[in-house]
Amino acid sequence: MWIFRRKISEGFFSLSDKKYSAIWSVEKIHLGFVVKGYIKGKPEKLEILRIDAPRKALAGGWQSWSPFKVIDTKNHSFKIRDWKYKDTPALSENHLSDYLVASNGIVIGFLSSRFAHPYFEIDGDQIVAYLDYFDSNFENEIPIEPLIVLNEGDTPLLLELYARMIAKDNSVKLEKKKPIGWSSWYQYFSDLEWSDVLTNLEKAKDFPIEIFQIDDSYEADIGDWLDTRAGFPSVSDMAEVIKRKGFKPGIWVAPFSVSETSKLFKEHPDWVVKENGKPKIAYKNWGKNIYALDLSNEEVLNWLNDLFSNLRKMGYRFFKIDFLFSGAIPGERKRSESPIISYRRGMKAIRKATKDAFILGCGAPLIPSTGFVDGMRVSEDTAPYWEAKDEGISAKYALRNDITRYFFHKRLWHNDPDCLILRKDSNISKEQREIYAITSGTLDNMIFLSDDLRKLSESEKDLLEKTISLSGGKPRVENIMDTSMRYEITSRGSNSGNIHLVVDLKESKYKLNFDNHSKIDRRVMVKDNGRNFYFYGEVF
Amino acid sequence: MQELRFNPLTGEWVIVSTATQKRPVRPSSVECPICPGGLEFQDISEYDIAVFENRYPSLLKNPPEVESRGIFKKERAFGVCEVVVYTKDHDSSIPKMPLYQIKKLVSVWKDRTRDLFELSFVEYVFIFENRGKEVGASLSHPHGQIYAFPFIPKRIELKIEAMRKWYEERKKCPICEVISSEPGERTVYENESFIAIVPFYARFPYEVHIYPKRHISTILELSEKEESDLADSIKTIVMKYDKLFDQEFPYMMMLFQAPPKEDVDHFFHFHIEFNPPKRDKDKLKWMASVETGTWTFINPVAPEEAAQKLREVKI
Repeated sequence: MWIFRRKISEGFFSLSDKKYSAIWSVEKIHLGFVVKGYIKGKPEKLEILRIDAPRKALAGGWQSWSPFKVIDTKNHSFKIRDWKYKDTPALSENHLSDYLVASNGIVIGFLSSRFAHPYFEIDGDQIVAYLDYFDSNFENEIPIEPLIVLNEGDTPLLLELYARMIAKDNSVKLEKKKPIGWSSWYQYFSDLEWSDVLTNLEKAKDFPIEIFQIDDSYEADIGDWLDTRAGFPSVSDMAEVIKRKGFKPGIWVAPFSVSETSKLFKEHPDWVVKENGKPKIAYKNWGKNIYALDLSNEEVLNWLNDLFSNLRKMGYRFFKIDFLFSGAIPGERKRSESPIISYRRGMKAIRKATKDAFILGCGAPLIPSTGFVDGMRVSEDTAPYWEAKDEGISAKYALRNDITRYFFHKRLWHNDPDCLILRKDSNISKEQREIYAITSGTLDNMIFLSDDLRKLSESEKDLLEKTISLSGGKPRVENIMDTSMRYEITSRGSNSGNIHLVVDLKESKYKLNFDNHSKIDRRVMVKDNGRNFYFYGEVF
Repeated sequence: MQELRFNPLTGEWVIVSTATQKRPVRPSSVECPICPGGLEFQDISEYDIAVFENRYPSLLKNPPEVESRGIFKKERAFGVCEVVVYTKDHDSSIPKMPLYQIKKLVSVWKDRTRDLFELSFVEYVFIFENRGKEVGASLSHPHGQIYAFPFIPKRIELKIEAMRKWYEERKKCPICEVISSEPGERTVYENESFIAIVPFYARFPYEVHIYPKRHISTILELSEKEESDLADSIKTIVMKYDKLFDQEFPYMMMLFQAPPKEDVDHFFHFHIEFNPPKRDKDKLKWMASVETGTWTFINPVAPEEAAQKLREVKI
């Protein structure tokens, strides 16, 4: 193992290069060691650690949608499939993984991404950990993103410890409980009409739903979030109607994205990230070119603050903020700083403006988002079908990521496995719908429905109830290094006791077992001075 | 006044809570505040097991704001203090309670732990019972308490660090190793799921620890069978205590669980400590200068001898 191109040893070290200087230490920690220090100058692409590559590695990309799975390090290449991965900041021929890489009995991972983008490449028979500072030039010392190597335990335990260390390094405090909600997307997609919202609002009272969230489709254009499409009331009136029905209003926004046709872009063409002086296409979607807001620009941050403050004032208490990766794409910005620094400015502005509301991140660079979101999508979108070619968008591959990224849950944020699709008329079999729901429950993940609620019968309601009853435990994927897609998941101390779940994504089969676990009847009364009284009765 | 004050000499937090001064001291059954119809249950004629937030709490869900001045560091006294009433019968006690009632109590502890673990400001949940005036119990009606702390208390922190160090050196949980290495001379009682011992390292003369044989870190992980076996273990130990000197034996019973927001499950083993202050029928083991000031305990009874006496008590 080599650190800063030196043979590993504990202690304090320094290094001066033409372009930068660094001091760092290698210190023993619980079940491994940490490399940390300070750097100044213009480090660009900085090699931190080099280690012999294991044959099998758990690896994945930088954002919510990126696959995270066991790969063969000798025979692997991340395909640049589409726009979603094109702008992974460090993507190269040899790119292996962003933020972390794990194998049997070892986890190597960066604890933060405040200034640089941390990633791993394959170099012959070795894995190399890098920090990419882009063109940033630091006049004063900044902390090097700490890197840990945990190598004294089983992989699931080490992954859990790694996630906890990220949380501590980023002062993550999970203030909010995970809500149960409804989202319009997976039933209506972009065809949502206001009448669909009203219909589902009427039925929602029959479900244990707290958040009623309107997804993509209400907006006039990408970037014009306060203007609604024909047929929808104003954004403010939408919130009012939802509130009147007794739910907390939720809304979808892609806050760092601007379409070429939007009013926002026409009014502020200088607010976007550029390439060779011209607006840079961050990605294409909705049949349009989409640009990324330049989050180093104070005017843009003020606009974000006003947007989310307004939405909050209207009553929105749940924000699904999507396509966040666009805020971190490389390019020319007003301030000469790394895209990671800019991205975090944008996230900080949203967090501050939304105050106590729940923020669900989506399409988000993972580690730079820690501390700014309450929930996080950890997979590609689910879909009303199970299988897809080349591991494309589908329920199966979304669930695979929810399983392999289980260790982030309740340490960095609440993992969002994307919505459950419970209705019978999708292209997912009964067993597959059960697998998705039961696995999400066992993993203690967020639960959002996304069906026309009129289509759900008692049996689907029972499945929802069962899913909720499986939550509350400490989940672990015992065989996370397995490549057969047959996962053994345990959850200790759930609402249903200790759970053992074997889920086979290839064969669409599962087996669920519990310890016998007593439940006790409870009645709650609030008495003088708001004191809670709990009366317990028979055990059943 | 209700606030946390930091002691830079020891690194511990002190709860300053003037409200606790108002707590009643050992009222009779006629005026017992936790009997049905008493102050806390005025409109309740009967209950089975009840838990309520203390009228005189040391910690609050919405504590007053505080302001640190200079080096004198303060924090808001976030937390929850609950009273757990084991039964409606004022004159009952764990030895008199049927086993199913104690099992129900274990289920209640689980339920409270689950709720309190979910609170964002809670870093540690401590379940305990003070029995007898010798350990400051203010009510004789059978009850325990739960404190949900906004920090990990110092002794728990030390336990965690000691267990972590042991694990790093031996790759095993220390309590698992104690259980597998215990020769039996310190065993007081065991059933399928639990073992009760006067530990090799007992600080009090008749100190007993109850350890689950399976490595678990919180009571949330107990199966139904383990809940029953834990109830059986607790009842057996307290019955033996009461028979030891043929008197109601005072004790502090304390449940040590892993903190909810730490990943220590691989080395932290859930356990119960009984710390009784008696060293003989009419003699108390005081927490005097050496014990309080240096945290060094002088145990006048060899653990093996105490275990033998307790083992031989017929119940």
